[in-house]
Formats: sequence, C-alpha cells, structure tokens
Amino acid sequence: MDRRELADLADLAVAEVSRLGVQHADVRARAEDHESVQVRDDAVEGVSRGTSSGVGIRVIHDGAWGFAATNDHSPDGVRRAAQQAVEVARASARVRGRDDARAMLDEREPSLGSYTTPNDRDALEVPLGEKVDLLLSATMAARDAARVSYVEASTDAWRIATSYRDTAGSSVDQLVLQVGGGLAAYAIGGGEVQRRSYPNSFGGQYETGGWERVRLLDLTGNAAQAARDAVALLDAPDLPFHEDAVLVLGSSQLALQIHESVGHATELDRILGSEAAYAGTSWVSATDRGSLRYGSPLMTVVADATTPYAMGTFGYDDEGVPAGEAHLVTDGILTGYLTDRQSAAMLGEQSNGTARADSWGDIPLIRMNNVSLQPKEGDRASIVADTDNGFLLLTNRSWSIDDKRLNFQFGCEVAYEIRGGELGRMYRNSTYAGRTPDFWGSCDALGGASDWKVWGVPNCGKGQPSQTARVAHGAPTGRFRATVGVR
Amino acid sequence: MWGEDRLTALADDALTTGEAVEVVLSRTDSALTRFAGSRIHQNTSRLDGEARVRVVREGRVGVVVTNELTADAVRAAAVRAGEIAALTPPDPHFPGLTPPGQPYGRTSGPDEETVGCAPQRRAELVAAALDELPAGVEAAGTMETSVQERAVVSSTGVRVYSAGTRAAASVLAQGPTSSGWAEAGATSIGSLDCAALGRRAGEKVLLGANPQEIAAGRYPVVLESGATTNIVQWLGWLAFPGRAYNEERSALSGRLGQQVCSPLVTIVDDALSPLLPGAPFDAEGTATRRTSLIEAGVAVGIAHDRTTGALSGTGSTGHAMPAPNPHGGVPAHLLMNPGTESIEELVAGLERGLYVTRFHYTNVVHPVETSITGMTRDGTFLVEGGKVVGGVRNLRFTQSCLDALAGCEAVGSELELATDLFYGASMAPAVRLTGFTFTSTTAY
Repeated sequence: MDRRELADLADLAVAEVSRLGVQHADVRARAEDHESVQVRDDAVEGVSRGTSSGVGIRVIHDGAWGFAATNDHSPDGVRRAAQQAVEVARASARVRGRDDARAMLDEREPSLGSYTTPNDRDALEVPLGEKVDLLLSATMAARDAARVSYVEASTDAWRIATSYRDTAGSSVDQLVLQVGGGLAAYAIGGGEVQRRSYPNSFGGQYETGGWERVRLLDLTGNAAQAARDAVALLDAPDLPFHEDAVLVLGSSQLALQIHESVGHATELDRILGSEAAYAGTSWVSATDRGSLRYGSPLMTVVADATTPYAMGTFGYDDEGVPAGEAHLVTDGILTGYLTDRQSAAMLGEQSNGTARADSWGDIPLIRMNNVSLQPKEGDRASIVADTDNGFLLLTNRSWSIDDKRLNFQFGCEVAYEIRGGELGRMYRNSTYAGRTPDFWGSCDALGGASDWKVWGVPNCGKGQPSQTARVAHGAPTGRFRATVGVR
Repeated sequence: MWGEDRLTALADDALTTGEAVEVVLSRTDSALTRFAGSRIHQNTSRLDGEARVRVVREGRVGVVVTNELTADAVRAAAVRAGEIAALTPPDPHFPGLTPPGQPYGRTSGPDEETVGCAPQRRAELVAAALDELPAGVEAAGTMETSVQERAVVSSTGVRVYSAGTRAAASVLAQGPTSSGWAEAGATSIGSLDCAALGRRAGEKVLLGANPQEIAAGRYPVVLESGATTNIVQWLGWLAFPGRAYNEERSALSGRLGQQVCSPLVTIVDDALSPLLPGAPFDAEGTATRRTSLIEAGVAVGIAHDRTTGALSGTGSTGHAMPAPNPHGGVPAHLLMNPGTESIEELVAGLERGLYVTRFHYTNVVHPVETSITGMTRDGTFLVEGGKVVGGVRNLRFTQSCLDALAGCEAVGSELELATDLFYGASMAPAVRLTGFTFTSTTAY
C-alpha cells in the first residue's frame, strides 16, 4: 500500500466507527515491509522479504474497551471490523470488576502532523547483491582470522508506514525506517558452544535510519577479532563463583540490564497490574515517585523518543502523542513512569507518549522508547584502571528476571579478570546475578559521553497476544557489585 | 472459514511463475479477552493471514511473505521471490521441494462451537472463573479462541489443507501476600472448565499466604504440569533440533541409543494428537507423524526438516519451520507420556522439598548441557512429611533440563496444555524429581 492508500484506509475506518456511537475510537492503518538477509560462512542461508498491512480499530463503548483488526481493506471488511470492535467492547462491559471501573483516557488536544525518519538511503531500496557482498565479506574475514566452526552475519530492514486517526480529530501520518546488522563467530568443541558477536549479540546493532547506519558498523573490519575471541573461549576456564564481586559491565550489557531492571519496572501498566498474568508486575509502586531510592546517586535514567538514530525513536506514538522525554530516575531517586493515555489518566496526568503497537493488528501498550542511563565521566579503560580486583563482562548471552523485576541473572559472552587495574585472563560461561535495588545501589562508576552508546534491542516481548517491540538504551561502561559465576 | 478450495486456489497463479514454487498459506481468526483487577481491560479480535512463497531456481532460494490474501498478491510475491532467488548464490545443501504422495494423517478438525465463539461467550467464561475466587482475592488472566486454516501448495504437486481450533484460559489469583495460577488449553472451548481454574488458582492463594523465605539450595521437587512442560519445551529448542544435532551443539549429539534421563520419561512429538492443535503437514508440506524422541529415558529421535534430514541421511521427520529457517527442524508438538500418580500421591512421596506451580522467564545458561535459569511464581510451596505445609517466597533455579529429568522418580496422570513465553503448545505431566538446584531467592 502506498501512503495515500493507507491514509484513505484510516479515514474510512474512523468514519465507519464514528457512525456506531462510540465514546472514543482510534484507528491505526499500517503497512510494514521487512527484509532479512542471513549468511553463514560462504553461503546465503536465507533471504526473505515480507509485507503486512491492515487496520486496527480500538473503541471505548459502554465505558469498556473493544478492539478489532483486519487485513481486509475493502469497505465491507473495515465496516465489519468496526462493528466487531463495538461488540467486543459490549462484552468487556460484562466484567467490570468490584469497583465497576470505566475505561478512561487523559485529556489532550488532538494531534495533527507527520514524521519521517531521517535517512540517506532507504535500506529496502538497496540492491540485494550489495547486502550479500557486505555480509559475505565479513564472514570470510572472520574465517580467515581463526579456526571458527562457523560464522553468521545478517542484516534486517523495516519500513513502517502508519496513519493514525481518532474521533477527537487527530490525524498523524508517520514513516519509520529501521535497520540492523551484525555477525557472530562460533567455536564448538569439548561439549562447548562459544560465541563472540559484533557489535552486539542477537543480530548486532539496530537503529533508525537508512543503509548508511549498517555501513558504519564496519562488520568486515571487526570480524577477525570476534573470530579469534570465539576460538580462545573454547580453552578458557569457566568464570568462578564469587559472592559480592566487583563487576564492570560493558555498555551493551548494561543496556540490557537497564531494559530488564529499569525500563520494564517503570512501565505504569505493569505497576498498575495490567500485565500481571503474563510478564508480571513491578517492585515499584504508583506512589513511589519522588521517594523510592532506585540506585546510587550516579544513576539518572531518561526515556527519550527523539534520540538521533536510536531504535526507539519516532515522531508520534500509537495514540498520536508527540515524541518527548521523561525522567524516570534522577540522581538515584525514582522520578517518573513510562505512561500511555490510559495509565496516565489513572494518575490524573498526561501521557508521556510511550504507547506502541507491534502491528496494525495489535492494541498499543506502554513500550520503552530509548530508555538511557546518562553518562558521567571516564571510559572503560579508566574504570578498569581504577578497579583493584574484579571482573569485566561483555556482550549478552542470556537474560532472566523475576515477575517483579527484582531478582535477575544474566549471562555474557566473555569475561576478563581485573587485577591491579589491568585486564587479565579470559573466562567463558560468565554469569552474574543480583537484586535490582542492591545492584543499582552499588553503582560507583559510570563512563562519560565518549564511552556512551545507544544499543538497539529488537526483541522486547510483552502483552497477550504477544507483541514484539524494537527499543533502545543508551549506556556507558558501569561498575557494580554482584554475585558472579552462578551455574 | 474459507475452506480448502478457496484458500488453496490463491496459489494457482503463483505456481506458473517459476520452475519450483511452494506457497504456504494460513488464515487465522483469533480473539483474546484479557482481564486484570477482576475486570476485562483488554479485549481483542484479529483477522489475518499469510502467504509465504518460496521460489527455487537452480538451487537459489528466495522467500517473500505477504498478508494480502488475493491471487494477484500471491502471484506478485512469487515473482518477487524469483527475483530474489536470481540474485542469491546457490545453496548447495538445498534438497528440493517436498515431493507429492506424502502419507498425510488426520487431525480432529475445527470445533464448530469454537469457530463461532462470540465475545460475550468469552466474557461469560471469565466471569465464571472470577465467581469462584475467595473473598479478598482478585484475578488476572486470559480467555482466548482461534481458528486457523493452513495449506501448502507447490509446483511438485503437493496440495494439502487443514483447519483446526484452539481455546485456552488462564487465571492468576492475587491475594495480599500470595498468588496462585491455573491454566488449561484444548482444541475446543467446550472442554475448558473456567470455574475450576478460578477455584484452583484461588485455593493456592489461601494455601500460600504469608510465604516464608527458604534458603537457596538443591531440593527434591514436585513440578506441576506447566513447569514440566517448560522444561520439555526447552529440550525442544536445545536438544532435539536436527541442525544442532548434526553440528554437535545438542546434548544428544552422538548419544542416540543412550540412556539420557529416567526410564520413566518418554517424550514424543505428535502434531496429529487430538490433545494438541496441530496439522498433518509441516511448513514444507511434509507429512507430520508421531516421532519418538526419548523412549523410557533413552534418546531415540531427532527432529529434521528436509535440509538437515538430507544431511543426516534420515530424511525429514516433518518438523520444518517456516522458510527461511536456520534451526533445521524443531518439534512444536511435544508430549511427555503421563504416569499413574495423582498430584496428592506425587506430593506424598516428598519427605521435604518444594512444590512448584510454574516457572517464569526461563532462558538458556549452557546449551549443550541443556542448562536453563528461571524463576518460580504463583504458587511455590514447602512440602514436609508428604504434605504441603505453606507457601515459600519464589526462588531462582539454574538447572540442566536433562539432569532434572534423570532424577524423575514419579510421573503424574494428568496433562495440561501449556502456553508459554516464546513457544507454542505442548503437554507434559506433573513429575516428582529427586533434585532441582535453586540458586537464589527473591523478596516475595
């Protein structure tokens, strides 16, 4: 669908649902294109291109929520979806809870506007051969450098066009371009599978923008080191168990720590119980703002949907709220929540614009945008030099956290001993574990602006039916205390 | 529902565009009613579909996916897939598309009541569960239904269609200091007893009130069906996939024929089982069949698609995932055989240990050792003298799945369909294990 057809589809949907006498309706017509290219060693493993389009209609009727979505773009199909949304809302009104709760939204002026991700070259317009050549160049560089078992490289590109309309008069048209790329070298032997990824695990780095962002990663130039490290890990010892160890985390691992233990924990829908049965709730309460000590005074976390090139950057959220920023933690104290129009209204506030839907077929939920830990001073080298006895852990390998976002355990691809301010031996199968306020309370060093990097997280799961969001986190190197070597 | 003729006809024009074309079609009408704080707060309905077109030209493969279910859109996808294939280097391992004449089995087909389930019916079932909660207890959860039609049509002559339904419900009961969980799934909505789910979840809240902290360590455990299923599903990703096996990344690599867990453990994959929503063909159109993976504790089988099956010499076992698929055969319909013991009998066999209702956010620690970590939640209890004596605060475990099942000393008689983070539908019974390693605690 082109953008004119998409806008027409949204206009049709809001017109159809307006006739049904609902209290509120918002519609998202969306067309998403995606391309994925995967290579392994000297072979192309998979090339796929996909497109998905449709319209989702959300209503408040009888004081209750209803939603219906369809891939049928015809007037009849859209009309049926509008009627279905109202019927679903009537059913919702059948079970209102002990307090007879009514659906509500914050008070705000309608949004009018448009947004397009700045880009030099839409990655979906780049010839496939150019992508394959780049990826094969990277895997060959890795294979030339070390006796790896295999090397994988991939690139992804998304083009997401959305037309948002609501019965209050909002009209927003948006085009978001997202890209990703990375490589991973594997070494297998002796009952071990060891991996080193560049620039990050699980597909690499993800950003908004065009193909130029993938070129900047220089996959080929960084492939050899990843390969050498993967092979070296096979002979490295396991990271030994230490309780209350000094732990220096690289920027990308700290980004995932922020994601799991700050981002999700400050989502107001989780805090209010909306996600209780699936992803869980939070150790943070709706009355903690301004008083809860989240971490050390070094810790300031800001959600900013305008960070240049970051994966969670957009012009408007999926409730038509303009992108903005919100301080979640300031000098270690909880100072805000991630909100949408519904949850903000329950606190008598306005949304800070974090409602996003995975597709045209999903309702918007509170999702992180770019939730970033602000930098302080120094860098990885200076923090290591300032550490007498500890461990440096780099690049995520696995993650798990409890349903209140308290008890966590992460695995990393590689660890190094730190002794007397210098890096020592390499360790494999490294893990660390702790509890959220203890961990953040132990933070006594964060790198500065030159050490700070925004990392895309392409696979954030939430909601039922399950939705996946692409978000980001800025983080420097950080120093903490935690238990390491849990196996 | 569209039916076989209308769905498969979408592919006919696409078949004329290239020398080897495969079209995998699906059309899904799904609805999910979600409640929290004992009220319905999210309620959704979605009609969607997909045509996944794979075109092969001289060993070069391209895939294009569209959700526009028209003959023109599917044909356009085939043309584009052919263009992609032409730009792609040949895949030396591609074994070709599935040949015709597959011995397709039969599944139970769609349940009419589930197909026609209205939003009001789902709301009534939610209300039925909520009506069973004890005083002062609120609940969250889901009630969902779906009908899916699937087909594979290819230029080799494969033309196969299947339709099925699924219904599932879950209840998380929440008290001031404890929570309880119950879930059920089936191929028909009439099989769900939501009132019973509400009762069970509510009883756990009362039983687990004021939980005590217990030290991390190794404990004998009784795992409820959902927790066991989580472990079995991880074996589905880590141990059974053909590519991991071929590349010696699997715990079962080189161990077929060996005892890998307790003789009480038998695991099959069976997309034809009436217990599970499945289809008689996989995403390559290969016939699915009951595949033994672990028999009386002995590793006996691996899941393959056409590519890994060709490389290993066994052929496909009917476990292809949608193309392009780097995993190479994944069992998505795992069943662990039930035993004979009731939950009460499993607990009675524990002198001192823990009873676990469900796990949360499990993830891999060491793939070759099938070691995973995760948390307990919504009903973790201390058992002493063969009886549940009260709730305990939740714990984190770090544990090898195969090692845990090596210590399986009793198997329960009832199966529950489990829906899990990151995965589909599988079933395993409650079990009693001689040891399970808990590595830390949490605050609730």
